[in-house]
Amino acid sequence: MTSAVAQADAPVLQQARGRRSSLTRSRLRSAWLFIAPSLIILALIAGWPLARTIWFSFTDADLNNLSDYEFIGFENYLASYDGEWLGLLTDPDWWQSVWNTVWFTLVSVSIETVLGIVVALILNAAFPGRGLMRAIILIPWAIPTIVSAKMWNWMLHDQFGVINDMLLRVGLIAAPVTWTANADTALWAAVAVDVWKHTSFMALLILAALQMLPQDIYEAAKVDGVSPTRVFFRITLPLIKPALLVAVIFRSLDALRVFDLIYVLTSNSRDTASMSIYARQQLVDFQEVGLGSAASTLIFLIIALIVVITLAAGRVRLGEDPR
Amino acid sequence: MADVVLKNVQKSFGRAKVIHGVDLDIRDGEFVVFVGPSGCGKSTLLRLIAGLEDITAGDLFIGGERVNDLVPAKRGIAMVFQSYALYPHMNVYDNMAFGLELAKSSKQEIDRKVREAARLLQIEQLLDRKPRQLSGGQRQRVAIGRAIVRDPKVFLFDEPLSNLDAALRVQTRIEIAKLHNDTRATMIYVTHDQVEAMTLADRIVVLNAGRIEQVGTPLELYHRPANLFVAGFIGSPQMNFLECQVAGVGPGEVLVSLPGGGSLSVPVEPDGVQAGDAVTLGIRPDHVRIGPEGALTGRVELVEELGENHLLYVDAGQGRRLTVREPGDARHEAGSSVSLDLARDFCHLFRHTGEALRPQADATTPTSPNLTSSAA
Repeated sequence: MTSAVAQADAPVLQQARGRRSSLTRSRLRSAWLFIAPSLIILALIAGWPLARTIWFSFTDADLNNLSDYEFIGFENYLASYDGEWLGLLTDPDWWQSVWNTVWFTLVSVSIETVLGIVVALILNAAFPGRGLMRAIILIPWAIPTIVSAKMWNWMLHDQFGVINDMLLRVGLIAAPVTWTANADTALWAAVAVDVWKHTSFMALLILAALQMLPQDIYEAAKVDGVSPTRVFFRITLPLIKPALLVAVIFRSLDALRVFDLIYVLTSNSRDTASMSIYARQQLVDFQEVGLGSAASTLIFLIIALIVVITLAAGRVRLGEDPR
Repeated sequence: MADVVLKNVQKSFGRAKVIHGVDLDIRDGEFVVFVGPSGCGKSTLLRLIAGLEDITAGDLFIGGERVNDLVPAKRGIAMVFQSYALYPHMNVYDNMAFGLELAKSSKQEIDRKVREAARLLQIEQLLDRKPRQLSGGQRQRVAIGRAIVRDPKVFLFDEPLSNLDAALRVQTRIEIAKLHNDTRATMIYVTHDQVEAMTLADRIVVLNAGRIEQVGTPLELYHRPANLFVAGFIGSPQMNFLECQVAGVGPGEVLVSLPGGGSLSVPVEPDGVQAGDAVTLGIRPDHVRIGPEGALTGRVELVEELGENHLLYVDAGQGRRLTVREPGDARHEAGSSVSLDLARDFCHLFRHTGEALRPQADATTPTSPNLTSSAA
């Protein structure tokens, strides 16, 4: 039936491809007219700075005098002087910051995803005060990161912090812990604050997906006698997977360029610095625009790579998916 | 195989009572259809039997066992939903097999059952497809297949054909009837379409506002409606109703005076009705004849040609409208005056409470009048 229709349509399509009617041409013209403003703005605010950063990464530009620089090729990334390798790719501090960022992203986004699903499932159930609850859980997300980082910094303070006080009273720790200064706990503290802040966002995206699900299949599953766990893993999870993947990518992009949270919480320590903190330090503190731009360019590439990998992995698994 | 017995079953949602004490005895292997206008509680009643809603009061027995407190999966039922309710991310095979995996059946057993059902429903070539790649009719077959593989004691259908187009509806209706013939399983079927009800049912249950109005075979309901509601609900076009007054009663007959001045003797048991009482006379469009000297006169307002027959909408004065169905092409135009002859043997009389008066010789069902002779 469908193939017959497709065959009948084929000559028409061929004709259309060969010679566009004036109607099609005028439609194309207005389409370009409508998207031109956004394209121009995007090019100005995103394309131009990105291109400039990439260009600077191949120069020895200095923050003191941005007009005077020379093209030095890949020397900011990797260069050899008298048999000694120099440049960004050989800097252990850079690789430490890459590892910190990736670790932070993996751990915080994983926890946020699991907690987000749990919170979304709870909010999806009908109970009195559900609307109010949905609004309340969004509060941490609405507070600016700087404010929540500062707030948690105080709560986690080794001497005056409420966290240490509580743990001491309960007897879980014997002496105050320097949560944000200790290299072992600082990144965990950052993860905890990030989870506190962003779980509600994750939950909200997942809740939206849950509410799109048809209810009748759950009744069918009831008649089939499917257990709630099985319903979740075999029906709910596969059906919300596309939305879940989008939420995970959103959060990962956000977490990979983490700056303010770690910067405020752990006072610019080398052990906890993220990629963005490293790049800012090169650019502003050391005034090395070339090296800083090289770091920024690498951040761009790393994030792009991770997104492509996530999308590809998602698509492979999505192969069995309805949508 | 099992019988389904409802004893004073009630359902309330909060303070709103939607099922008011339903008593019903569905025999093993019977095909019972619930019909009624929307909001009459027919779907709720089905969901109570399925266990998708809790029964507020009363008892439900399936196969002799009280199942009020059993989860749907333990009741030995399978349900086909109006919206198909297929799992969108699973292919046809998995949709049918999913429920069986839980019953701890072996892989071969599941495979055998799924392929058997697919063969029965002629969807073998679709087993690898996803629901979104199927047409509405194919989806409905998969939904039916999913019910079949469960090998249920009772099949429940919730308006299964209402999302299909007219031609497919007829075809699927025939297939469901065939399925019932083949399996002889008990089937309960909800619809608002009285053609489905008439053609499929062994017995029809007419529901209105959460109460049973009448239970009976399709022809019982058609020929001997118990009350005004059933008389108006069963049959299309609707039965004509005329407000009349009783002019006199005799043994096995009631004389009513017609609006236009004429009178008609209807062969029903008076059963307490007296001269002067207000009654409603009911007669189906097929039993009103355009004759030379009818009991009523009126003006044709509208003619609808249906091919094999035609409908005349006649204004009999004072806002009384009668529908007349005559065979063949219309011989009257809108605006022309006609006189209407009411076939007395096919008249129904209803008390002012809506209850029908019993026909005179209650044993025999009147047969349809000879259409050709009266048309000639």
